[in-house]
Amino acid sequence: MKLRNTTFLLMLCAILFGKGYAVNAQEVTPPAQQSSPESQFMVAGLLTFGFVNQNTTNTIGGVKSTDKYNSLGDADRFEFSPMLLWRHGDKLLLEFEPSFDGNTIGVNWADVSYIVGPGLIVRGGYLVLPFGSYNKRLAAGWINKLASDPVGTDIAGTDFGVEVAGGLPLGNMKWSYDISLTNGFQLNNDGTISGVGISAINNGKTVCGRLALLPFSNSSLELGVSGLYGAIATPQGATFSNINPTDRKGPIASMYAVDLNYVKNLSPIQLNVKAQYSVSMVNSQNYLSPVDSTQTYTFTNTTTAAFGQVSVRPVASKNKVLKNLELAFRYTGYTAPQNSTWGQNYNEEDVALDYWLSWRTVLKVAYENIKSDGTSSVSIAGPQGTTAISRVIIQFSTEF
Amino acid sequence: MKKIFRSKYLLTVLIACFCLAVVLVTNGCAESKKVAAKSGVELWAENCQRCHNTPSATSFSADQWKTIGMHMQTRALLTTTERDKVVAFLQAGSRN
Repeated sequence: MKLRNTTFLLMLCAILFGKGYAVNAQEVTPPAQQSSPESQFMVAGLLTFGFVNQNTTNTIGGVKSTDKYNSLGDADRFEFSPMLLWRHGDKLLLEFEPSFDGNTIGVNWADVSYIVGPGLIVRGGYLVLPFGSYNKRLAAGWINKLASDPVGTDIAGTDFGVEVAGGLPLGNMKWSYDISLTNGFQLNNDGTISGVGISAINNGKTVCGRLALLPFSNSSLELGVSGLYGAIATPQGATFSNINPTDRKGPIASMYAVDLNYVKNLSPIQLNVKAQYSVSMVNSQNYLSPVDSTQTYTFTNTTTAAFGQVSVRPVASKNKVLKNLELAFRYTGYTAPQNSTWGQNYNEEDVALDYWLSWRTVLKVAYENIKSDGTSSVSIAGPQGTTAISRVIIQFSTEF
Repeated sequence: MKKIFRSKYLLTVLIACFCLAVVLVTNGCAESKKVAAKSGVELWAENCQRCHNTPSATSFSADQWKTIGMHMQTRALLTTTERDKVVAFLQAGSRN
């Protein structure tokens, strides 16, 4: 019922936005643009290729084991994603981005956007959910200042649905909104969630939204707050059950996130700060023990993920080499639920020295130091261990 | 009980945010004179670098810039005025 109300609100707002801006659109005088054909098709996209040298040390019960490997085109650091853009007139844009990550060919997004008027875009298809700022804007290799993505930022992921979004002026400030209605998640037998895909197996839908404010007239600072709420599907063959047998309500996911983006030119240095913090919660269930099918266990299914990064680049330096160098540092913290089979406290520090060959082509040399302490239940997942990973990555990334 | 309250709270916040958005829009979100006076080159410098380096105008053709402008409007939620001014600036220096 609540989601029906929300859907109604979405529709109502779409009408109001459209009506309100039909008037304002006449007041805006766009600058003269060169004439464009009715339709235009183009291919853009990105290529990321990397080399990684990694040392892993696992410690379980005081016993250490080490593993070393190096790889050209390691899966997490290789991506070829041509993006197909088809514009029809001034209002309609189709976007499709298939992606090969070294192992599989997938689709990053496939959607159609209709620009109704100033401040209102309606989109449908396979969408990146508007949760936080990293996934939608910063994940591409040629945009990311570090070599890999911060763990846990993709928790909301991509889904089938509809979305309304827009950016609007507010005096000297600016704000934007982005709200989606999608099929949502399913709960897996270990308590993790994954996208339900195109075949929704529950009636509930997931509402996700992000509201952002750019308080300065030069758009240097962006502050965002995101929320997600939705019923989670219970797949066939599920072995978990509601903690309260009389409660007929299924599992529910709720998430929130805050993000910050600050870019300031402090001549000759450009300072770039980005941060995001998110919490994901699924209400508690009784899960079947993987080692004893007569036993069940439960845990507080809350996952947190955070990262903060800072980079500096002497963009105004007179030295041609120096002005193309950028130094970046990022800290990532990720906490998976204690006493689940996948519980861990994860910390990662990354540092990278980037050399910009052009505005969209970069060569990165990065060092990453990771430490993960297992917090899973000993009775269901065996002895807890510690994993330490150190790796050096050389990565080339370009947008074309 | 606490978790149910938290979920209800989250939905309420979402709806409240949406209502706030409606109020702001229907009351008009005019830009200040200072912002309205900004040129395409200023907006290009300020907005592109929020996520990535400022692009060179010669990287794409005029038609392609129009398509990319729409893509960036949907991705970075630029205002329509910003999009139009930035695209006009890039088209002026484009390959053709």
